[in-house]
Amino acid sequence: MGDVYRIIAKRLGLGLVTLFVISIIIFGAVELLPGDIAQAVLGQGATEENVKAMREQLGLDRPAPVRYLEWLKGAVVFDFGSSLVSQTPVAETIGPRLYNTLFLALYAAVIAVPVAIILGVLVALFRNSVFDRVANVVALTSISSPEFFLGYILILYLAVITGYFPAIAKLQPDMSLADKLHRTFLPALTMVLVVVAHMMRMTRAAIINLLASPYIEMARLKGVPPWKVIVKHALPNSWAPIINVVALNLAYLITGVVLVEVVFVYPGIGQMLVDSVTKRDFPVVQACCLIFAATFILLNLAADVGAILTNPRLRHPK
Amino acid sequence: MNYFVIGYYAMLIGASCLAAHFQKREVFLLLFSLTLASFVMGIVGGEPALWTVTVAAGLIALAAGTAFAFREFLAIVLPREAGKAIRTAPLTAGFGLFVIGTYAIAGIFAPIIAPYGEAEVISDSFAAADENMLLGADQLGRDMFSRLVYGARNTVGLALTATLLAFFLGAAGGLIAATKGGWFDQFMGRFADVIMSIPSLIFALLMLSIFGTNLVTLVLVVAVIYSPRVFRLTRAVAGNIVVMDYIEAARLRGEGTWYLIRKEILPNSMAPLIAEFGLEFCFVFLLVAGLSFLGLGIQPPTADWGSMVRENATLISFGEITPLIPAAAIALLTVAVNFVVDWMLWRSTGLKE
Repeated sequence: MGDVYRIIAKRLGLGLVTLFVISIIIFGAVELLPGDIAQAVLGQGATEENVKAMREQLGLDRPAPVRYLEWLKGAVVFDFGSSLVSQTPVAETIGPRLYNTLFLALYAAVIAVPVAIILGVLVALFRNSVFDRVANVVALTSISSPEFFLGYILILYLAVITGYFPAIAKLQPDMSLADKLHRTFLPALTMVLVVVAHMMRMTRAAIINLLASPYIEMARLKGVPPWKVIVKHALPNSWAPIINVVALNLAYLITGVVLVEVVFVYPGIGQMLVDSVTKRDFPVVQACCLIFAATFILLNLAADVGAILTNPRLRHPK
Repeated sequence: MNYFVIGYYAMLIGASCLAAHFQKREVFLLLFSLTLASFVMGIVGGEPALWTVTVAAGLIALAAGTAFAFREFLAIVLPREAGKAIRTAPLTAGFGLFVIGTYAIAGIFAPIIAPYGEAEVISDSFAAADENMLLGADQLGRDMFSRLVYGARNTVGLALTATLLAFFLGAAGGLIAATKGGWFDQFMGRFADVIMSIPSLIFALLMLSIFGTNLVTLVLVVAVIYSPRVFRLTRAVAGNIVVMDYIEAARLRGEGTWYLIRKEILPNSMAPLIAEFGLEFCFVFLLVAGLSFLGLGIQPPTADWGSMVRENATLISFGEITPLIPAAAIALLTVAVNFVVDWMLWRSTGLKE
């Protein structure tokens, strides 16, 4: 077992280093601005005094590394400074929105993961049949469509024409859970469509890869019934690839969520990011980017660690 | 129950029986499962649902017919070797080639095909389609169809430029890293890891918020974001080739790095690189379309599919499909490229299982 822990520790360390480098990139990118933040925000027409006052307020007179360390220290405890536009602390606005985004992503994941894995295994079992080919074409189409295309199709058919679901996913604080699930169903479904297609294809590839191994052929040749081949021989070894597939696609959800939130006017962190990019509200952009990047890295890390933990060869070393 | 519904089921069941009689197992399975699905859809959605199925089936049949005809056409027109390869291609690949060809023609000859200019206001905003305007007008009264045609030039052109640049950067880096090795290889590898560990859309938004949204920045940012993927693939493919004996022989002959890359490695790694180019184009195209949709890509009044969706989005709530048309144009091209890439990967790697 010692070996496994060492590998995991090494992987976690690598993840931390990546996160650190990314925080430098996110902070450093703003330093690349022609002039500085004060100049960029106030524009060409600002007087010298105004720019100077803003510089002092933001503490821009100190060297960049000092400011970076302060920013990082704040970011660790979820304090990202205050917004340039509204002057309120960034964390205050981000908090509830982050919760909304996580809610939406979780909602989509709960539907997508079981559906995708079951479909993926079925398609792998019936590979090269008509169903496999139809599923492949449908999945490719769904992957290739931009999220806003799927989103607007769903709005058109399920909201405007039939009226089953609301087209705009506005949330009120006092909504019941059932209400909330009903209201956010369309954005969740849009993400489910994209993610299921990805996951199904990846699960199919993983399972087919596995079914080609010699020990599966051995089991078949000695006369093990097909379902037993899958349950006893294939499944224990396929956990690692399946966990990998799930985590990678959850990470994919994180990016997809930005476009979906804009389509459905959902009050999440993705929409906030897009808004602040247009307003050039740098502290908010930095905070959102850091949260997205951190989640992305964490999920990738989880995928790797999960793959290591479920690998029978590593769990029972010779 | 009316004549349409009766005819619908009679057709499906009759066709299933015929397929079963002639031992076409696959066709039978497909038709009969469609019949079963239709029962459920008919009960839930009524007659309109069955109409939708009929229209969709008709569209798919039309696409398949076009793909078949186009594939035969290519097989006859192209020289022997290429023609043979095309003849064995699946229908989906034929369809993909057809769509790509159509888009290329629309993009190249846009000013000749489009009846109006891309920024020309010719009627009221959101005017309905008439004999002058095939698809109606957009939010400022510009002809939707003309803008769609110009969009093929602007959106696809931009994505293609960015992909070419990303490809050039990534492939050059990968080839040099594979032949040189050492610290350069290590450094580039770590650099690619870091860029790839930030979600691409998020990274693009960060960069665009800083450098502003103009075309040059957009192309550069997108190219930098997607070059690590090409770098990794080129590095992996070239890494396998570098250890071959003929490379050793060339090195002993005293050939330089540039010669090795150009004459020995590149010709032998062409197939996976071309397939990767197609995939890469899809990613870049979707990213550019997404950014335009968010209002951060190509700026108005230039016609561009992503921003056309955004500008006309309000029409959706009136049950109009106008905003879906440019979005469908994006999806169709990506699907087409994916189909062709799938076929090429299948051919080059022998993923035949």
